[in-house]
Amino acid sequence: MTDKILKRYSYDVIANDFMSAGKSSSAIKSNLKSLGIASDIIRKIAIISYEAELNLVIHSFGGKLHCDIFENKIVIISEDTGPGIADVDLAMKEGFSTAGDSVRELGFGAGMGLPNIKKYSDQLKINTSSEGTTIVVTIYL
Amino acid sequence: MNFSVMFDKDKCRGCTNCMKRCPTQAIRLIDGKAFINTAKCIHCGECIKICPYNAYTPESIEWYNQMHDTPKKFKIAIPTTSLYGQFPRGTDICKVQNAILRLGFDFVYDASWAADLVARAIKLKIDKEKTVRPYISTYCPAAVRLIKYRYPSLMDNLILIREPMEIAGILARERVRKNFGLKDEDIKVFYISPCPAKLLAVTNPIGDYKPSVDWVIPLNKIYGDLYRDVIREDNNTCSYPSLLGVKWAVAGGQSEHAELKNYLAVHGMENIIEIMEEIENGKLSNIDFVEASACVNGCVGGTFNVVNPFIATSNINYILNSLDDECINPDIDRFDEMYKTGFFNYKLKEEERPDQLNLKEAVERQEKIKEICDMLPGLDCGSCGAPTCLAHAEDVYNKESEFYDCVVLRAKK
Repeated sequence: MTDKILKRYSYDVIANDFMSAGKSSSAIKSNLKSLGIASDIIRKIAIISYEAELNLVIHSFGGKLHCDIFENKIVIISEDTGPGIADVDLAMKEGFSTAGDSVRELGFGAGMGLPNIKKYSDQLKINTSSEGTTIVVTIYL
Repeated sequence: MNFSVMFDKDKCRGCTNCMKRCPTQAIRLIDGKAFINTAKCIHCGECIKICPYNAYTPESIEWYNQMHDTPKKFKIAIPTTSLYGQFPRGTDICKVQNAILRLGFDFVYDASWAADLVARAIKLKIDKEKTVRPYISTYCPAAVRLIKYRYPSLMDNLILIREPMEIAGILARERVRKNFGLKDEDIKVFYISPCPAKLLAVTNPIGDYKPSVDWVIPLNKIYGDLYRDVIREDNNTCSYPSLLGVKWAVAGGQSEHAELKNYLAVHGMENIIEIMEEIENGKLSNIDFVEASACVNGCVGGTFNVVNPFIATSNINYILNSLDDECINPDIDRFDEMYKTGFFNYKLKEEERPDQLNLKEAVERQEKIKEICDMLPGLDCGSCGAPTCLAHAEDVYNKESEFYDCVVLRAKK
């Protein structure tokens, strides 16, 4: 019963499109607000989905961001088509970033993406290879 | 409680300008006339500013009655800081307080004096408590209410230091009780306000306290009398506002007064919305303090002001740059003692908790609304009486309007 998905929101995220970066996570946020989800949960999901979306924009070849609603949890899924995370342990370290100067000049790439996602999540699974990365983040209601 | 915006139905032509401008979508057109849902209104004054037919009047006749029908009460006036930006260059602003007294008040306590104290309290709290970032100012009641309705998760970021109007009211009452031997019920406190939102702060505060101010007077309603008196030769009594306190009328003034180095000042409703989105995404936690004012340039942009907000800003900067600060703040020596006793702090009022959420029903509701919305043309034209197609779909779902109120679909039918 609790594993039955009630609703999935899906968004395409385009690599290097900094103009649109943040739009998918904004849409997720406003959908959750209209569902009446508690504000402390929304705050966590806002941060998680924003960081995940920016990771897609900055580091991936592009991909999808999903937000799945269950009776007892919300799951954010980020899927991309590569190039994969070379060293996951290193990527989880606060302040570590592979972002180039051009990205940092825009105020992104501070090396807080994955650490922040971990900080605000109840469960985090990362599956990565050169074919692509899937990140599954769970927040219990 | 009295509503701060008067609406003249006869002047309204149903043009939809106010409805589309309203940041909380509190306005609908019913039978071709605008209607404000008071439960959603945050008193930002956007509708008053945008209405081309002056259907909204920024006043309530009540203030006049309050001021004139209570001859037995001892009347205290607290002028807003933006008042000092409303006079032409070179006007002797040290005459302003005396001119206010001559309007029929018994005592004046300047909001800028209270701002001196509040700025210090803000600085101390920010330096001491580093877990919340950014802190958000509670100075603008409309911005605070926007946060409450649209960004409730950011309520924890509000700094919850009483604002100058409130502090001024408490200190003025205290002084009058002591100096004139009066009881609290014999005293009435009036705030001379730049905007309608301050009335809301007085009648329905977010904090768990009884407001010290009793009524709010629109600045523009007494401006003429004030101005004529300020320029009179025989008005020669001098009393000074705190110049840095006066800067609170301008966006950024609070932070400058509090000597903060790492702050962000945002003004104008759309801009606040963008910044609040960023804070919600966890992006601005490297900033100590965010000042958000609903009006352009800060309180100088409030609808009750007389002078253009940019001119008023320039006037205030001119005052700051050309005058020596001769203000003798009546209460600044007591700051440490006040701060120690927690005088500036308050708690949020307990709100009723919403009913237990049934996610399944909520998802179904959202899907049905989306279904309705997908059948609408997506023009957001407002002709149906709702600000957007999505708002119309919600109204249809809630049985508050008819699907075929949509003018475009009706024409096709």
